[in-house]
Amino acid sequence: MTTPGEMAITCRGLRKVYHSDFLRRPFVGLHGMDLDVQRGEIFGFIGPNGAGKTTAIKILMGLQSATAGEASILGVDHREHESKRKVGFLPERPYFYEHLTSRELLRFYGQLFDLPRKVLDRRIEELLVKVKLERFADVPVGDYSKGMRQRAGVAQALINDPELVVMDEPMSGLDPMGRALIRDLIFEERERGRTVFFSSHILADVEMICDRVGIIVGGELRGAGTIDELVGHQVEHVDCVYRCPEGFDDAVLPGERVRGNTGERSQQRVDPPDLDKTIDLIRAAGGQVLEVNPLRASLENILMTEIDRKKQVDSKRMGVLN
Amino acid sequence: MTRLYAIAVNTFREAIRDRILYSILFFGALVLLTSLAMQELTLGDQDKVVRSIAQGAIRLFGSVIAIFLGIGLVFKELERKTIYTIASKPIPRWLFILGKYVGLMGVIAAELGLMALLYIVLMTVQQGFPASSVFVSWVMLYMELGLLTAWAILFSSYSTPTTAAAFTLAIFAIGHSADDIWMFGQKAESESVRAFSEYLYYVLPNLGVFNATDLAVHHMPIPTEQFLWAMGYGVGYSAVVLGAAALVFSRRDFK
Repeated sequence: MTTPGEMAITCRGLRKVYHSDFLRRPFVGLHGMDLDVQRGEIFGFIGPNGAGKTTAIKILMGLQSATAGEASILGVDHREHESKRKVGFLPERPYFYEHLTSRELLRFYGQLFDLPRKVLDRRIEELLVKVKLERFADVPVGDYSKGMRQRAGVAQALINDPELVVMDEPMSGLDPMGRALIRDLIFEERERGRTVFFSSHILADVEMICDRVGIIVGGELRGAGTIDELVGHQVEHVDCVYRCPEGFDDAVLPGERVRGNTGERSQQRVDPPDLDKTIDLIRAAGGQVLEVNPLRASLENILMTEIDRKKQVDSKRMGVLN
Repeated sequence: MTRLYAIAVNTFREAIRDRILYSILFFGALVLLTSLAMQELTLGDQDKVVRSIAQGAIRLFGSVIAIFLGIGLVFKELERKTIYTIASKPIPRWLFILGKYVGLMGVIAAELGLMALLYIVLMTVQQGFPASSVFVSWVMLYMELGLLTAWAILFSSYSTPTTAAAFTLAIFAIGHSADDIWMFGQKAESESVRAFSEYLYYVLPNLGVFNATDLAVHHMPIPTEQFLWAMGYGVGYSAVVLGAAALVFSRRDFK
């Protein structure tokens, strides 16, 4: 059993209710979320827009108060300022003081952590190199492109050499180079034993880099675990790529055709038990099996399933109310 | 202390890079310069009239800067979302409010200093070096602007700049009419009206406490007890208003 002190983030029954419209009708942004993020892992927080990812992050970072529930960061109650001492935070679409250069910006944020001058001087130069902004260090942030701003944002999140880095949609709107840079930085932080917690709706990135993933839909955490735990090891289908002589009728094969049998490479999607039979039929017709690719469920499948379940529950609830 | 310094310096730096500050300063300097021309248009003690207009200009434009910079101070942080990267650092929100206040008071000190310098040069050329009471009156004016800025920050911490401007201007107007509120209240026949006017008099700021311009214009000394009362009143009242601003701000959700 792990204690909160061994966890990077612990949430118990975290709930947020907004009363933002004129009539102050309640809107539940987060339904009693329980979450554990272990130290030293890369944790991806995924969900559709409006699912509650940013709400949860804002509560953890002290930007919003929780209506109910508890949370701790590195073993310290999240409402205490000191819980942020070893945390770096990159908000979604970060905004900075446009009049400051990135060097001034990093100095400002470093001073907010009370970092000694010498440490700060060294850290600023290291980070400018790390995020590839050293050539633009004395240019006002107001003149930066979106990607450069994001890199400046990552640099400010790392200024205190944090044990936990929290990022809200760090790769949103970045070009492939920018995304690769952020991915590398996240890996680097984990290699140094740091914890990275980030939200994203770019599932390919999440699958590629996360140790564990939490799925949030409609303000509810629908599941959390490693990608294997979430999507399972089970192979749902197998894609069989083959080449056959002209005139071969693929209707004899089980499963469904993915790509036609007129070209050099044909492709048939079959259920796993039918794979041997399919290969035998292709060989018997004088064909050659080129590739066999098992297809597992993806995070996208899991997320879409959760969204559909949530919709069904909501529509049933509406039906009861009506 | 480093954190307070960082927020204050950043606020100062941001404000002095704002063009609106220079526009207000330009008009302030213009009025100061035109006050010299008033000498030719007035009867009686022409030197006093010039001093009165010039002192009035310093007071007016100082107040304009305090109000216009103060009302946007916190709101801009929320609107531009720069608050996200600050409130997520290990700093209490009251420290943020205090840092913004100290930074803005630095801007107001610089602005008052520049206008005072212009006043000293003009008066020295035309009438001779200003009396010491002029300098004391500026210190009292600075304290008044400190109180006004605290109110502007309080309003800015929970409302839009337009609403904050309206409220702060109302405080400015009421603050300069506090003695009238007291006087008219005391003349009322109704006991409840008298009690209400007394309540308003004690709760709302009395900016007249800081006004020693008349004495300064007439080159008369400002009594020490008046000066000390103004300082104590200004520090105490500003601290209470800033405390309220910090309290309001610490309960705010940043959406």
